[in-house]
Amino acid sequence: MARITLTDLTKVYDPDGEAVVAVEDCNLTVDDGEFLVLVGPSGCGKSTTLRCIAGLEDITEGRLEFGDTDVTTYSASERDVAMVFQNYALYPHMTVRQNIGFGLKLSSKLSSSEINDQVESVAEMLGISELLGDKPKELSGGQQQRVALGRAIVRKPEVFLMDEPLSNLDAKLRSDMRTELQELQQNLDVTTVYVTHDQTEAMAMGDRIAVMDKGILQQVGPPEEVYRQPVNEFVADFIGSPSINLLSADVDGSTLLGPGGFKYDLGNASPVEGHDRVRVGIRPEDIRLVDGGPNRAEVTVVEPMGNENFCYMELEHIEMTARISPTQRPTAGEEVAFAFDEAALYLFDAETGDALKTKTDESPDNIHTEVST
Amino acid sequence: MREQRRKDAVWQFTTYVFILVMTLVMLVPLYWMIVAATLPQEQFIQFPPRLYPGTAFFENFAALQERTDFVRSIWNSVFIAVVYTVLSILLCSMAGFAFAKYEFRFKEPIFYLILATLVLPIQLLVIPLFLMMSQIDWTDTFRAIIIPWLANPIGIFLMRQNMKSIPDALLESARMDGATEFQIFYRIALPAMRSSIAALAIILFLFQWDLFLYPLVILETSANYTIPVALSGLEGTQRVYYDQIMVATSLAIIPLAILFLVLQKQFVSGILAGSLKE
Amino acid sequence: MSTQHSDEETPVSSDGDPLRLRLWDRIRFARQSYTERMPQIESIAYVFISPFFLLFGLFLAFPIVYTVYLSFFEYQSVSSDSLFWIDIGPIFIDVPQIAELQFVGFGNYAHMAGDSLFWQSMFNTTYILLIQVPIMIGLALALAIALNASFVRFKGFFRTAIAIPVSANIVAYSTVFLLLFNEQFGFINYLLSSVGVEPIAWLRDEFWARKTIIAAVTWRWTGYNMIILLAGLQNIPQQLYEAAEIDGASRWEKFRYVTLPQLKPVLLFVVVLSTIGTFKLFAEPYVITDGGPTNATITIVQYIYREAFQNWNLGYASALTVVFVAIVSVISIIQIKIGGDD
Repeated sequence: MARITLTDLTKVYDPDGEAVVAVEDCNLTVDDGEFLVLVGPSGCGKSTTLRCIAGLEDITEGRLEFGDTDVTTYSASERDVAMVFQNYALYPHMTVRQNIGFGLKLSSKLSSSEINDQVESVAEMLGISELLGDKPKELSGGQQQRVALGRAIVRKPEVFLMDEPLSNLDAKLRSDMRTELQELQQNLDVTTVYVTHDQTEAMAMGDRIAVMDKGILQQVGPPEEVYRQPVNEFVADFIGSPSINLLSADVDGSTLLGPGGFKYDLGNASPVEGHDRVRVGIRPEDIRLVDGGPNRAEVTVVEPMGNENFCYMELEHIEMTARISPTQRPTAGEEVAFAFDEAALYLFDAETGDALKTKTDESPDNIHTEVST
Repeated sequence: MREQRRKDAVWQFTTYVFILVMTLVMLVPLYWMIVAATLPQEQFIQFPPRLYPGTAFFENFAALQERTDFVRSIWNSVFIAVVYTVLSILLCSMAGFAFAKYEFRFKEPIFYLILATLVLPIQLLVIPLFLMMSQIDWTDTFRAIIIPWLANPIGIFLMRQNMKSIPDALLESARMDGATEFQIFYRIALPAMRSSIAALAIILFLFQWDLFLYPLVILETSANYTIPVALSGLEGTQRVYYDQIMVATSLAIIPLAILFLVLQKQFVSGILAGSLKE
Repeated sequence: MSTQHSDEETPVSSDGDPLRLRLWDRIRFARQSYTERMPQIESIAYVFISPFFLLFGLFLAFPIVYTVYLSFFEYQSVSSDSLFWIDIGPIFIDVPQIAELQFVGFGNYAHMAGDSLFWQSMFNTTYILLIQVPIMIGLALALAIALNASFVRFKGFFRTAIAIPVSANIVAYSTVFLLLFNEQFGFINYLLSSVGVEPIAWLRDEFWARKTIIAAVTWRWTGYNMIILLAGLQNIPQQLYEAAEIDGASRWEKFRYVTLPQLKPVLLFVVVLSTIGTFKLFAEPYVITDGGPTNATITIVQYIYREAFQNWNLGYASALTVVFVAIVSVISIIQIKIGGDD
């Protein structure tokens, strides 16, 4: 078991002499036994970071430590890590048994029968004992996924790395496997770094999540913290589904003036002091439709979700979303008035995107904190 | 409607007749060869010829074997073709693997240089190779027949194309499992390429099996002759023993024809792979 | 091609055969410690390509250059003199001269212009080519279309039977054809006599000797081309035919407006491949007619062979080779030009 420490980790690709910085000065610590999710849009450097930890990419600058050991220059096989790939990367010509046992056969000092016992116990743990004699192409996607997991688990690695392991599964299987993976990780208590572009998955699975964008680590923290106290506009926008409503507003003393007649009086104007213009963010669940008020928008579509309705509105060409009670059902084209609490309001610097103010309302315990275990 | 149906019937009939005639054209020479190989010389050269097999095959074979050691030639051909195929596959797949999965300097120019030699007829090489082999005293040896053709441009081209289709994750996965680069090559890449290698094996085997001009120039003693060289030497002696010649051609053709029937899928993919353009 | 001795399935039961298992494990551990001790090679790629490249340079690249070099010389004899030597202290490399040569400049090329046998061989090759390739491609195309028709049964059998000549050794089948077309007892003349035609002197008559070569080459390669064309036909989307059917296209129109344009790249490729193949003709005329009668069937490669290895004019033969390769290259370039359109 090991803690992973990344210090000023930088990865520069050099195709045809044209340097491309994939990851820049990344500082990150993953605690022993922790489940950390690296999340971000495609091309943000999350996979590169993972591959640097795995030893599949050379680290251009910076340091990587497992526990107290500096493994920066170690090769992949020397690092004692196991990785689950997006397409599972099962060896097509080997049976499930050979696939799972391959790593042990190559690098462990176990005897064949010991290897066999371990392969079988892992297979039993994953419920794929009957498939041990099959070739990968005879298996379903979910079964292949399990074999890939088995191949990683059987080596009892110090670090577990997963690169979008669930993205090739259909929606139903994906959510099943999500739970199963978490249980597995908890039972094995292995430090795990999990890469995904799906923020829902990140929120649901990670002990902590690390948000990356353009090769730079933006924020690391428990899911709820990242959701409620994003450090900048990017994180606020990326985390949360449906995503946060954002609009630009001019600052006039303690009053915010936005497009389409948007107007909001701040009770506490200190966050916007010295700013002429800010970005305003409101989470969809914090928007209430009210009978009357200064802020009005035109309803475009209402999507009934069963337990709630998603109400899409337009505020002078700015798309807004509100999560409203299923009993409220405005019709398309209708003009509605909306309101929100100042405690729920996010404010960002218009130039840098840095957060000036984040949610201060009481956290709704029942929504996020329980899921993240 | 009825008119159309009649036209269809005529068309179908014509098609069948055409296919049947062509099938006969392809098979009759082979059948005739087998018949001839089983007849004593006197029956073979009579007119009209006998059209069904006789029983003299083994007599003819014994006579042939007495005159020239044809079994030895078959063995030579098989030995040369098999050794060549195995070595060339190893060489081509190793190089193809590097071209598909590694980065190194001048990778593209080198590859296109190799590719450019694909269009050159191999006859071009016979004269300089003959001189080189004479110089290093390799004439009349099997290694002179095998080694110069090992670096086969078709081979490296096919292996590179196919190795490219192996997902990188598969190799990385093996790397993390603790495999060395050579282990990745022969335990992961090679087995994953089985069908392409089978097709390439057939291309290479047939290439070497049919090679004629070059061994004709290089091989001197009849004990070293390959099938084509031995066959070409059979006629031209004072008296031509047709029965024996036909035994020899049968022995050269029938085993490969049977191999073709058994490995038809691989032959076809070999032909198609060999005809691939970029 | 399974090459692994060590990929054996590990027996399921741990007490199945302890001795054998222990032995395998020993081997495995030995190999592990061996690989651990092996140095890590930074540029492993070079290790993978160097054997290939060494042989490629030595036996392919160099001979090509040397042929061109040789074409400006007259060959005297095999030489044992040094071409050059490198003396770097302890290392002494002596590269022997390959042959004793006398420089003749463009003499070999000039000689070609007045060499009637060279022109005869050019003529023969072109003659055979112009008749053989269209016949063979026509037959191969017709066969491919016939075997692709939905109503034809036993496709597998017919395809196999027609393609079986691709497995025939070149010299062996040529020998069979030599006897098939024998004037006295050949099967072909028997067939002709049974329909009342006088026996033909296949191999003694200029006209018929060329036809015999053409027949032989066509027999050997029609199935080969059919396989390629059949694969091309099967790649044509079925919807195109269905659309044409709805438009009321006749069988000919479907061929003309769907099959031909769709098959064009494959067809062109097959044509060029066959053209080059026939251009390189050697074994068939060597075995069947020996270039005769009166040099009516001698081909370019056969002429090069005679000049080089019977008359030992290796310099002149090299010049002939260079011209021959130039012609083949032009055909290939045309192929790339045409193929590049798609």
